[in-house]
Amino acid sequence: MSDLVLAAGFLAMAAVAWRRHPRGRVGPLAAVVGVLVLLEPVPGPWQLLPLAWTAVLIHLVAALPSGKVGAPAVRVAVALGYVNAILSAALPLPGPVGKEAGTLGALLVGAVVTGMQWMRWQRTSVPGRRSLTPVLAATMVMLVVLFTANPLWTPEESLLDLGALEGGLVAVPVAYLAAELRRRIERGAVADLVVQLGSAPEPAGLQAALAKALHDPTLTLGHWSPESGQYLDAGGRPVASAGAGRVATRVDRGGEPVALLVHDPALLDEPRLIEAACTAAALALQNERLTADLRARLAQLAESRRHVVQAAEAERRRLERDLHDGVQQRLLAIPMTLSVAESALAPGAERARALIAEAKDQSLAVLDELRALSQGIHPTILTERGLEGAVLELTAVAPVPVRVAVELPDALSAEIETTAYYVVAEALANTTKHADATGAEVRVAQEGERLVVEIVDDGRGGADPDGSGLRGLAVRAVDNGGTLQVTSPPGRGTVVRAELPCG
Amino acid sequence: MRVVLAEDNVLLREGLVRLLAEAGLEVLSGVEDATALLADVGRHRPDVAIVDIRLPPTRTDEGLRAAREIRRRHPGTGVLVLSQYVRVSYTVELLDGGANGVGYLLKDRVTNIAEFTESVRRVGGGGSAFDPVVINQLVQRRAGDDDPLHVLSERERAVLALMAEGRTNQAIAERLAIAERTVEKHCTSIFTKLGLTASPDDHRRVLAVLRYLNA
Repeated sequence: MSDLVLAAGFLAMAAVAWRRHPRGRVGPLAAVVGVLVLLEPVPGPWQLLPLAWTAVLIHLVAALPSGKVGAPAVRVAVALGYVNAILSAALPLPGPVGKEAGTLGALLVGAVVTGMQWMRWQRTSVPGRRSLTPVLAATMVMLVVLFTANPLWTPEESLLDLGALEGGLVAVPVAYLAAELRRRIERGAVADLVVQLGSAPEPAGLQAALAKALHDPTLTLGHWSPESGQYLDAGGRPVASAGAGRVATRVDRGGEPVALLVHDPALLDEPRLIEAACTAAALALQNERLTADLRARLAQLAESRRHVVQAAEAERRRLERDLHDGVQQRLLAIPMTLSVAESALAPGAERARALIAEAKDQSLAVLDELRALSQGIHPTILTERGLEGAVLELTAVAPVPVRVAVELPDALSAEIETTAYYVVAEALANTTKHADATGAEVRVAQEGERLVVEIVDDGRGGADPDGSGLRGLAVRAVDNGGTLQVTSPPGRGTVVRAELPCG
Repeated sequence: MRVVLAEDNVLLREGLVRLLAEAGLEVLSGVEDATALLADVGRHRPDVAIVDIRLPPTRTDEGLRAAREIRRRHPGTGVLVLSQYVRVSYTVELLDGGANGVGYLLKDRVTNIAEFTESVRRVGGGGSAFDPVVINQLVQRRAGDDDPLHVLSERERAVLALMAEGRTNQAIAERLAIAERTVEKHCTSIFTKLGLTASPDDHRRVLAVLRYLNA
């Protein structure tokens, strides 16, 4: 009966190991041990080698956890185990001592292998130890049991007969399975943590997610603030690194401090989980830092774009004024003087008169071009009258009757004024050219912190918002931190609505 | 005819003073800004004040505001507004107090001395002088096929535009090289067709025509 339990234990271990590492040796070795234990009481050729299972078991312990037998010394020990099994069957020693010599040999070799594994255990990392610890401990317990219960020193009433052998042996697969189960549970918790972090980008959310994943509701997360040189919580308060019954784990990334987890000391028993949590936290914090950085850069970009727009606007206004007050006036003085010269000409100087007239016409033509250029640089009426007067002029020259309602805030920035002007100008030009409208309405008013500019006509609609004029307007509106909407269902008029920041 | 002039550009101011003086007009003063203009108009009570729109200190519409102020305070003084640009809305503003003794011309017009001094005299004499560009803008916006302006013949439209500029029948006749009697006939026909009430010979006809165009 106990043989069956033992065999089942090794077979289960084989199945789990097989699933985890289909090409590893742990599975096959455990299976062989299980099968040999199972077959022991059944007559067959395997009874020629009764201690074969001890050799395979030693091999299995040596191969843990990865399935590879590493150091040459261990290999030799494993080989000795097999030699011991063969020799004890081929050259049986006489007497009761001889009968148990093979078992003793197997115990000795097993103890050596376990000792070697113990040395290896001491050299490996914390997470590495965790997979080895249970099995190694079980093996040691088993060895102690086998030594103390050996019939050599208790010949009359062997503890082995009381099932000590099976009891000690079964600890090996059980320990292996327990370690495996634990790993799975932890992996699940880490997976949960990652999923939770995905939907909890805020620092407070990160702390809650970590507390949940680590099953420590008292967990506190501090993120490193390079400015203040300490760890701060989500509310910006410094995080105490240690206290009564608290342990702090530092999270670094690339040699730079990132965060500090202050948690229950019990969590230290699950270093893998803590490690995963720290990695996840570092990633989340780094992500958050990058996002904040990006947001700051975007704000910076928007600000600098505003500056560019403002500077361009100021420059255009200045250019228009300079042209008007300087070049245009001085240029006009030339044909004026030519006119005086013309009238001062003696009668009969027809050739000179013609040349003066030509020069006058040429300078007036230049003046005309300059005027158009100046108007293109900045709408001159805005300089003279501001937005309200400019809108009135636009509606005054519109061929359809336009109702106007303009209510401006006290202060309107130059670039918003100009943008609003172009919205009205372009929309009314479209109404004139394409809409076949009988009337239109222009409304400019402040609504909250926005200046709303709306031009409505009763024309045929169907205006293309991606046409060059409206497209350009939309770009201009966006450049100034606003929006432009064109609603133009066929046959039902057109509404152009711009919302621009003001106030 | 006595003139006061406001123009901030010294080159243009001196040029204008010389030009007007050579045309036989008496320039009482040439000033730089609107404040000085209002003071000089008050002191000299000239027949006409010639005003640039953009005057110091802000160089926006000081001249236009001064022009309206002069019209309000001194109805006996005609106001001729000059500008690098002409606007329909400014025209409407200037017509607020009627079409008597008011003019609004593109600055370029000063280079045609005969025409310009004629305009100055007209405004100084209680008439009006509006720039063809403004009139053209007003006529253009009535371009729709169903607009009443289309009942006018081409010649009648030309006469209408010249009337709107403030020209006399004699001037219109000269410009179009037709007899003054023919101009009178055209005027009567235009007023009848458009259903205007003021007499075609009345000096208020400019206002009637401009108001009609701007309606």
